[in-house]
Amino acid sequence: MARNLGFVVGFAALICAALLSISAAASIRPISDAHRSAALELFVPIDGSFPSLEETYEALRTFQILGLGKTSDISNATCPVVLDKLRSPTSSPKEFFNALRLNGILGCEIGSQTFENVASHLHALIKDADSLMDLYYSVISLLHIKGQGVSAVLSDAEGVFHSIKALSQSDGRWRYDSNNAESSTYAAGIALEALAAVVSLADAEVDQSKIGIVKHDIEKLFDSIKSYDDGTLYFDEKHVDGSEYKGPLTTTASVVRGVTAFAAVAGKLNIPGDKMLGLAKFFLSIGVPGSTKDLFNQIDALSCLESNRQGFFLWYRISIPLILSLPATVLSLTSKDQLKVEVTTVFGSAAPPLTVILVQASSYDKDTPVLENQELQFDTENNIHYLDILPLKIDVGKYTLEFEISLHDPENLNIYATGGRANALAFLTGTIKVDKAQIGVFDSDAESAATMQKLDLSQDNRISLAANHLQRMRLTFQLVTPLGHNFKPHQVFLKLRHESKVEHIFALESSARQFKIILDFLGLVEKFYYLSGRYEIDLAIGDAAMENSFLRVLGYIDLDLPEPPEKASRPPPQPVDPYSRFGPKPEISHIFRSPEKRPPKELSFSFLALTIVPLVGFLIGLLRLGVNFKGFPSSSVPALFSILFHAGIAAVLLLYGLFWLKLDLFMTLKALGLLGVFLIFVGHRTLSHLASTSAKLKTN
Amino acid sequence: MAKLALLFLFALPLLLSLTSLLPLHCNAFSVDRPTDRRLLVLVDDLAIRSSHSRFFSSLQARGYDLDLRHADDPGLALRRYGQYLYDGLILFSPSVQRFGGSLDLAAVLDFVDAGHDLILAADSSTSDLIREIATECGVDFDEDPAAMVIDHTSYAVSETEGDHTLIASDDFIKSDVILGDKKIEAPVLFRGIGHSLNTANSLVLKVLPASPAAYSANPLMKLSSPPSLTGSAISLVSIVQARNNARILITGSLDMFSNRFLKSGVQKAGRSIKHEKSGNEQFVTEISKWVFHERGHLKAVNVHHHKVGETNEPSMYRINDDLEYSVEIYEWSGSSWEPYVADDVQVQFYMMSPYVLKTLATDHKGLYSTSFKVPDVYGVFQFKVEHQKLGYTSLSLSKQIPVRPFRHNEYERFITTAFPYYGASFSTMVAFFIFSIVYLYNK
Repeated sequence: MARNLGFVVGFAALICAALLSISAAASIRPISDAHRSAALELFVPIDGSFPSLEETYEALRTFQILGLGKTSDISNATCPVVLDKLRSPTSSPKEFFNALRLNGILGCEIGSQTFENVASHLHALIKDADSLMDLYYSVISLLHIKGQGVSAVLSDAEGVFHSIKALSQSDGRWRYDSNNAESSTYAAGIALEALAAVVSLADAEVDQSKIGIVKHDIEKLFDSIKSYDDGTLYFDEKHVDGSEYKGPLTTTASVVRGVTAFAAVAGKLNIPGDKMLGLAKFFLSIGVPGSTKDLFNQIDALSCLESNRQGFFLWYRISIPLILSLPATVLSLTSKDQLKVEVTTVFGSAAPPLTVILVQASSYDKDTPVLENQELQFDTENNIHYLDILPLKIDVGKYTLEFEISLHDPENLNIYATGGRANALAFLTGTIKVDKAQIGVFDSDAESAATMQKLDLSQDNRISLAANHLQRMRLTFQLVTPLGHNFKPHQVFLKLRHESKVEHIFALESSARQFKIILDFLGLVEKFYYLSGRYEIDLAIGDAAMENSFLRVLGYIDLDLPEPPEKASRPPPQPVDPYSRFGPKPEISHIFRSPEKRPPKELSFSFLALTIVPLVGFLIGLLRLGVNFKGFPSSSVPALFSILFHAGIAAVLLLYGLFWLKLDLFMTLKALGLLGVFLIFVGHRTLSHLASTSAKLKTN
Repeated sequence: MAKLALLFLFALPLLLSLTSLLPLHCNAFSVDRPTDRRLLVLVDDLAIRSSHSRFFSSLQARGYDLDLRHADDPGLALRRYGQYLYDGLILFSPSVQRFGGSLDLAAVLDFVDAGHDLILAADSSTSDLIREIATECGVDFDEDPAAMVIDHTSYAVSETEGDHTLIASDDFIKSDVILGDKKIEAPVLFRGIGHSLNTANSLVLKVLPASPAAYSANPLMKLSSPPSLTGSAISLVSIVQARNNARILITGSLDMFSNRFLKSGVQKAGRSIKHEKSGNEQFVTEISKWVFHERGHLKAVNVHHHKVGETNEPSMYRINDDLEYSVEIYEWSGSSWEPYVADDVQVQFYMMSPYVLKTLATDHKGLYSTSFKVPDVYGVFQFKVEHQKLGYTSLSLSKQIPVRPFRHNEYERFITTAFPYYGASFSTMVAFFIFSIVYLYNK
């Protein structure tokens, strides 16, 4: 069983991989206006020129291929630099190379004498050169001089050919120079381009056997081609960590340039058209590159594949790839879309007369074809092959389409590479009818007696249900395609969401003609964490082929579930709302202790008055009694002591008053001590005098 | 020997000046200029340099030094001699199984723990290493390696991509500091894997959640059981601001940053408006400004407090004193410190728990102030400003200040309620004085 399962899974994975690759292949589109606007965006001259001659060439070459005329203003600023480089005796071969190939586009006014001087300089350099790059720069420079109509015949063509060929390896790759053991695929492209230039510069015919050996090398080189699953092919270095590593795009572009150049001078190469198509697909699958270098390499290599726009190659000997692409792979049955197929060259120009046949269209799930051998009609005006799908009675879904291109003119078979069959993944979409939707709650043992409520799933509903754990809920509906078949979408979820945001999701299975789910709450209490309360019911139905995918609220169900046992698992914590987490906190102000309650001031003052009443009574009483001061000493010394004594008492009482008002205890005690001593003294004198007078009276 | 000492004396200032020069090279990430400067970009395919060039060049145009390396480059290192070589890390290498050089999971986490920033983009080829980094940041990518986020109701209408994995989302987090003042009008295109947030982690936030109808599943396989991630629980883009103010951006879509998505037009399913350009460029630019501290970085200076009517800061307050508290707060704008304007900066007068919590009033020039009465509880208090706002770095200031009770002579002196007692004693004293005279001299 397990093995069986493993097989199924593995097989499914295989299908997935295959389908992914198909969808990738379908997304390949020819060079379009997106590339043109990207080129204008990326290659931005600063003050009418680019930082270096190499970048200027890349920019102008890209503009030239894409048909963007923007050379005139740049040539004013750049031509003097080109002339300067050509006249300078210290320029390196690379500088000559960049200046001359730029001149090929700009057509600066340079006298033929200058070219002849450069040519003789280059001849000398070629004699001494031993590295591949020096030879390459010199030879290509000479080729450009020849292109200017100045004779630049390579007298020792055989020798140069030999010295370049000497660097080749048995696997078709090249070394940069004889001291360097590391060989490179990028260098192979460079070498092939150089060899092609040598052949076209040679004064005499180069030995065909040598050319034959190089052709063999090219075949060897194509043995090392790498591929993605979807049939795109590319070249890359064997060791990607080397210092000279340039990435697959640059490497592949170099090889394509070399091979096409060599094929132009050496005649038909034995390379299958499929390989060229695979390489073209590789460049196109990159889309719109974001760097100037990548864009130049992509556009330049594609132009090499498409045609020989470089004036000095007479005719083309490598198959021109034709790209089959679908402008739209999502076709709506509702808006009666047509299946459209474009067959163009990589730059989007028209292909020769041909017929596109839809060999087979099969549903993604099953392998049984729903359509076979439909010929697409050709719309000459828009250069598009099309097929009306509606009369063919194909239902919505995901389909793999297999196309075959057959060229009308058999001679074109040698010129163009069509790649035979091409696959594409397409979606047919349509409106799905949702029917007979019903929902209801019933007791476990009485399903037939259930009362079902009708639902309209074209809008949100407000159904209100109530159930306990002994009951069940049932939801049924039908999905029908425009052709009246049952439809099984990818997404059919029923979602129950508790007030505390705990969600439960159920996938609905289709049985017979309808979708049906029965929720038995008894079996679900544990999954629901024994959470009673209101649950929102959502239904989500969606599919890639369904134009009216939806998520609808059906209503609410109030669930009455038993109390949780002690060991029941708690519901998982729900994420906190980020806005509430960061808001300001409520202000806190301190509550001060309230002061003790006091009677009103008036009360205090009236009691103050009351306390003075006895004193007043006392004074009135004294007056009534008729007090006198006859006992006051008459003689002067005792009178003085009496006055001092009472003044002392008054001072003590005043001190108490001051103590109350402002003095502290220490001051008061100090003053009281002094006053006390004084009082004892004067009091003793006064009282003894009074005692002696009263004793005299008694004795008298 | 003497010569040697002389030589040493000459060499010493030279050495000192050299060491003082060294920090100049590393001062890009400092307290005064919080914006990052040097970024390490790790890719698993050098073609990303070209396919994501708009994003990189927008960073370079804003003054960042990008060091773009292959993720298994053997020379990778984040720190050397105890100094970090970069201020930020961009991981555009979803499929890398092991980093080259001295870089590994622990090194990346140490880098973040040291207060540096991280952008992590994944896609359907995401390796365990990248998943682990995300998990450490509080984000769990869908475990099913073939799963993608699918949304049949808010996908981007396209003629060539029909499986509804290209999602157009415009349910952004409402925060000007994270996404800029300018509203992002067009939806953001997303294709990749979804993730969920760890509910125990309070630092991670969804910037771009999926719509309620989204789910994370393999688009090519029939679903046999409900997917583990559905609805708004799926996050497409999330951010983390750690307690040390390190900022992290995690997204399940590397394509989001690509030139193709940045340039492409977008029409959300079910809507008639077709936007010429997707919101991706604005979104990734604005959020990268946030991640690399060009925005939302606060500093507080000049914390002052004093009694009402005075200007000097006392060493102690008495209960029931009226005091004034002020602090200046500035926000980093990428090039200068601008006054920070908010109406929810709060100060706490705190001893074990806040006794007073008050919102500070601002003069819109950076100065925040308030006044309040010291509570009638004595002890050692703190002035605390704990400002945490969505997207801003957190401010945490505290200043200790003791509060004492009344002294013995600071209480109220003449209480009217006691006047009858005073009156009684003084009248008795007067009566005593008169009585003593009358008693002694009456005849």
